[in-house]
Amino acid sequence: MSEVKAEMADWAEGQKVYAGELFLGLYQPSPETAGFWQGVARDELLFKWCAACARHYHPRRIICPQCSSTKLDWKPASGKGKVYSFSEVHRPPTKTFAKGAPYTVGLVETPEGVHYFCRIVAEGGAKIVVDAPAQLEFRELETGQRLPVFVVGGAALK
Amino acid sequence: MSSLANSCAIVGITRAIGLKSDAEKKTPLQLVIEACGQLMRETGVDRTKIGAVFTGRMPRSYMTLQYSQSLVNELKIAPMFATEVTSHGGGALGTIELSVLALNAGLIDYALCVTGEASPIWIDMIGGSANWEADLQFEAPYGPTTPALYAQSACRYMHEYGITPAQMAKVAVENRKWAVHHPHAAMRKKGLITVEDVLNSPMIASPLKLLDCAPWFPGGIASAALITRADIARNICAEPAYIAGFGQSNTHEWVGERMGTWGVGPFVDGPSMVRTGASVAAKQAYAMSGLAPKDINIVETSVPFTYANLLMLEEFGFCGIGEGGRFVESGGVDFDGGLPFNTTGGYLSFGQSGQGLYLLKEIIEQMWGHPEGYPVPNVKAGLVHGHGGPLACHSVMIVSKEPTC
Repeated sequence: MSEVKAEMADWAEGQKVYAGELFLGLYQPSPETAGFWQGVARDELLFKWCAACARHYHPRRIICPQCSSTKLDWKPASGKGKVYSFSEVHRPPTKTFAKGAPYTVGLVETPEGVHYFCRIVAEGGAKIVVDAPAQLEFRELETGQRLPVFVVGGAALK
Repeated sequence: MSSLANSCAIVGITRAIGLKSDAEKKTPLQLVIEACGQLMRETGVDRTKIGAVFTGRMPRSYMTLQYSQSLVNELKIAPMFATEVTSHGGGALGTIELSVLALNAGLIDYALCVTGEASPIWIDMIGGSANWEADLQFEAPYGPTTPALYAQSACRYMHEYGITPAQMAKVAVENRKWAVHHPHAAMRKKGLITVEDVLNSPMIASPLKLLDCAPWFPGGIASAALITRADIARNICAEPAYIAGFGQSNTHEWVGERMGTWGVGPFVDGPSMVRTGASVAAKQAYAMSGLAPKDINIVETSVPFTYANLLMLEEFGFCGIGEGGRFVESGGVDFDGGLPFNTTGGYLSFGQSGQGLYLLKEIIEQMWGHPEGYPVPNVKAGLVHGHGGPLACHSVMIVSKEPTC
């Protein structure tokens, strides 16, 4: 798909997010999500945080469903987690992603209470199973985008 | 609420099918209008009498803002209400539910409900569909596909309840038995399959193999239904299908948000990747209709993966929580002697194309005794389920040959 940037809102003022060959147009970082991507650029995973309720949220939370506060801050995640659910992708959506197939995507349950959807990577012969401990790292994916991923069996867990 | 039960009926339901292989490929708008034209001719209710037009979501292959106005314009109707009901795939039945409310209020006499989609004719479904089902900013960059998103729930379903791949496969095997008798089923010519065939099919996104996944219907389908109040229904149609009960529950947007929802709907006691709004919608529909699962003769669901069919049988109350695998394994939905389930072949063997009201049409035509595919004898009441998003939006409707209460 070719870029048709001129026809789309560009809240991110030029900072682009791709999914494979697909330029995501309207789904660029916007005022309610830009903070997350600024964190990613610094190798930091940020969750939204309601201080009044001591609750973490992800992604793009504008209002706290508990207390209706709209004063939510970005707070760094601990980076710890365990596999909640996963799927090994054998038929990737695009040719670019196919370079890394099969790969695993899934939900990682974090101590913050967020279930974070991401790439899950196995290292050192470890197997990705439900409840396997996982540690946050940043990796460049097939698309060239550097993103937060969770690693099972990595050195940081030993 | 119970005053709504049986207050309205479906007095006509039609469909138009276009295939990818047709010499002249059709747009969803062409198909929808074709179905509406047939409906108005068959019922004798013409464009001057239509008080509302409700459509399911804008077709992906016909994206235009104010899509409902495209219908108003082409049909040259001037309804009081015209809108899209965009509860993902659940909106298809939502169109009828809103019609019942407007009819009961006495604001209109006839509502036209339509759904239509032809995306397999016009769009790259493999590359594009993950970007339809995933959060484009927070999920799509990780490379999920639609099966990989639904697989998150399959993973938990297996983990929490011990559901096995063979139990999941069984529903594909039984659905195929209906499909071989249906003239339009995508997999009709592929013949019957076995549990081993499903288990040995290529891995798509673990734990889902090729035959755990719905194929695309090789074209597009539009359906149109005419709804009116029960007091005038018999003037139009000898055998109106009474809308005995309905319910809806919409809970979240993307997979990554599912576990961030609590305190509402099916997540009152906490979030779950497994429990869904289908149970809430089904309870509402049963309560309104006064019927129970034992009174239902036929069930159609729009879920596109094997495991989700097992799960829906639990959510609709045909077996206990976590019992879906054993229920199906022990013959619960067997073509021979089980509950007639997905009698067109279902999404798994009929194929998916945003069928919308087509599933409702199947139940009504079974009730009338002239289905397109294999006949189910003595259908008195049927349950249809419209679903969308990765198990995010659910609508359940019970239709009955006679008023139920």
